[in-house]
Amino acid sequence: MKRYLILLFLSFQAIIAQVQFEAKVSKQTLGLNERLRIDFTMNDDGDNFTPPNFEGFKVVAGPSQQVSQSWINGRSSFNKTYSYFLLPMQKGTLVIRQASIDIRGQIYKTSPIKITVTAAVEQPREPNDSQVSADESLHLVAEISKTNPYLNEPITVVYKIYFSYNIGITNWRELDKPKYNDFWSQNIDIKQLVAEEGRYNGEKYRFVTLRKTVLYPQKSGKLVIEPLSLDVDVQLPSNRRNIFGQVLLVEDHKRVSAGAKTINVKALPEAGKPADFSGAVGRFAFKVTPSKTNIKSGESLDLEVSVSGTGNLKLFTLPKPIVPTALEMYDPVHSEQVSTPLSGMTGRISDKYAIIPQYKGKYPIKPMTFTYFDLGSKSYKTVTSPEIMINVLEGPNAADNSVATTSDTKKAAVLSSAQFKFIKLKTDLISMKQSDFYGSTLFYLLTLLPFLCIPIIVFFKKKKEAIDGDVAGNKIKLSNKLAKKYLSEAQKEIGNKEPFYIALEKAMHNFLKAKINIETSEMSKEKISEILLERKANPESITAFINLTENCEFARYAPSTSTAIQQDYDKAVAIISELEKQIV
Amino acid sequence: MKNLLYILLLTSHIFFAQKGFENGNALYQKGKYQEAITAYETELSANKQSAELYFNLGNCYYKLNKVAPSIYNYEKALLLNPDDIEIQNNLKFAQKLQIDDIKTVEKVGFNKVIQDFTNTFHYNTWGGITVGLSIVFLLFFVGYYFSEITVSKRLFFLGMFVVMLLLLVSVSSAIFEKNQFNNDQPAIVFSEVVSVKSEPKVGSSDAFMLHEGTKVYILETLDNWNKIQLTDGNEGWIENSAIKRLK
Repeated sequence: MKRYLILLFLSFQAIIAQVQFEAKVSKQTLGLNERLRIDFTMNDDGDNFTPPNFEGFKVVAGPSQQVSQSWINGRSSFNKTYSYFLLPMQKGTLVIRQASIDIRGQIYKTSPIKITVTAAVEQPREPNDSQVSADESLHLVAEISKTNPYLNEPITVVYKIYFSYNIGITNWRELDKPKYNDFWSQNIDIKQLVAEEGRYNGEKYRFVTLRKTVLYPQKSGKLVIEPLSLDVDVQLPSNRRNIFGQVLLVEDHKRVSAGAKTINVKALPEAGKPADFSGAVGRFAFKVTPSKTNIKSGESLDLEVSVSGTGNLKLFTLPKPIVPTALEMYDPVHSEQVSTPLSGMTGRISDKYAIIPQYKGKYPIKPMTFTYFDLGSKSYKTVTSPEIMINVLEGPNAADNSVATTSDTKKAAVLSSAQFKFIKLKTDLISMKQSDFYGSTLFYLLTLLPFLCIPIIVFFKKKKEAIDGDVAGNKIKLSNKLAKKYLSEAQKEIGNKEPFYIALEKAMHNFLKAKINIETSEMSKEKISEILLERKANPESITAFINLTENCEFARYAPSTSTAIQQDYDKAVAIISELEKQIV
Repeated sequence: MKNLLYILLLTSHIFFAQKGFENGNALYQKGKYQEAITAYETELSANKQSAELYFNLGNCYYKLNKVAPSIYNYEKALLLNPDDIEIQNNLKFAQKLQIDDIKTVEKVGFNKVIQDFTNTFHYNTWGGITVGLSIVFLLFFVGYYFSEITVSKRLFFLGMFVVMLLLLVSVSSAIFEKNQFNNDQPAIVFSEVVSVKSEPKVGSSDAFMLHEGTKVYILETLDNWNKIQLTDGNEGWIENSAIKRLK
């Protein structure tokens, strides 16, 4: 039983081992310019072979079928192969999908194969292959004018295809277009391809310039220009000759590629870089030109800001003029007259601003500055335009615009004639350090004084009223005043006897009136002495007083000397002052 | 004889004092504006001033197309003589030279009415009016106090109250006007272009840009920064060096 089982097992294995269907590739990794051979091999005859659709590849040759059958020592072996030659169309990882075949009613499939396609590789030399001889005699070269330019410095890339005299080129197709990432590029059209003669690696070659490109690096650092790959149809000489002995040409196509180029872009120096640097690199002339400077209001004026010269003209913005707000400035019209030969952009770019002044007056357009990096001297250069003064000769006045717009033309006409006034010819110069009146002491004094006057006035009026009301007091005061008056009169009349004594007597009487408040009619010696005694006067003084009064009457008519008069006066003064003290 | 000598002395003094002004006028007439400025400024350095002097200086700067000094001097002249039509006229001409056009936002409301009223006189004039009114008050009091007729006594009494009221009004006007004068700190931007910051720091963000000749009002001062307000109500901080105060 066990033996049967093993036998059965073995026979099954033989059946499984019998059918094989697989795909084999010549290499897993290849360059873009290399070919790949893929074989689909089976060890039994099958029908309905379906190849995969070789995505990303171009079938160069195939399918070619190959069948071999052999008997060795009575054992037969069978082998059938479908072969394809493939050319990768793109870089990257490509997958060749499954192929299928029907063998005796059973469908077999191959497993998918991953292929890595790298950039074009240089192919090793094989002397006898005609392909190799095309490699030898066909070269694509990228010529770069400068590999370490400044930012925005133009460089040129010229693609030339060199081919030796013994091959011919009939056509080409671009496979990989070069990409200029981080570059501003401008292709220079080549109208007609002309074969020229030149040297390549010291050998004589013919060459055709395929492409010319001007590049402006837009980023500093290491930038890579992706290579250009071409599929070129070539005519190669073969080893065979025709009956006339001429070499027979073989048509073939060949892939060439210019290697990737690295460009090391230098950043513009930071030292001395002005703040308003707009990125212009090259050599420029800067101009600001107004179409006119004397205009009427409402007329327009063109202000042209232009830069001409060589450099990255299309890659920077022009400075914007600064004008007073009273000038209406519209958005500029930008115009470029730039041609791009291989040496870089040259020409002129300009911004034209339409300016319409609204009101009369003088308006300055500020000086404008334009800075560029000069590649010759490797330094920043600044060009400053002069200040432009716009004179608006006629028109409404800015401040009176509301009036100017009214239909009252007469009024507007008067106002529009408002002129810039001439200087003033007369002045009164005053000191700068003038103290304020308000807040000064004088101010407070003058303000408060009238108010202070009010109580004073009230007080004085009250006092006057009081004085007016006191009749007796007033009499005393009057007598007192008269006494003093007569006494002084007496002193004056001291030479004349009669008036002296009259005055002296009056003085004495008035003194009495003032002091003891009696009338002249009441005056008698007795009454006087009585009242005076009441008032606690000294009796001696009283008698002296009475004596002197009597004496006055006598002395008026009696002869007396001037010494006696003087004595009497002194006496009177002494008595009066004495009584003044004594009387209460 | 002595009086004559005094008069002569005084007049010669005035003549001497105005020499710079006269010289400046002559130079201006000849079109030598820069020299005229130097002549006028001798008066300023002697601490003399007048509205006319500032006006003429403004004219010189205008002729030289110097925006900020021109506007500055006209504004100075207007501070001394606010109602002069010629100064206002030439200031408008000078303002056309400036880049910024800042709208004036009219103030409205009760405050504005008060301001307009107190603005009719300078605070010194208000001071004078106060003094005059207090004297009138005294006269009314005297009239009331000494008047014998009842009707006139009543009239004087009533008049006293009216005058007292007017006096209070004029005093408060003077205080208000003085306050207003002290708070009102105009300045002129002298830098060609200056960025007004949102904070008084060098690195802070720009609120807006101002060009020379623009009039600003200083609200506050911190170190060498001034908080300014424009006539349209915008506010920001500006460095001291960029502006020149009018007062």
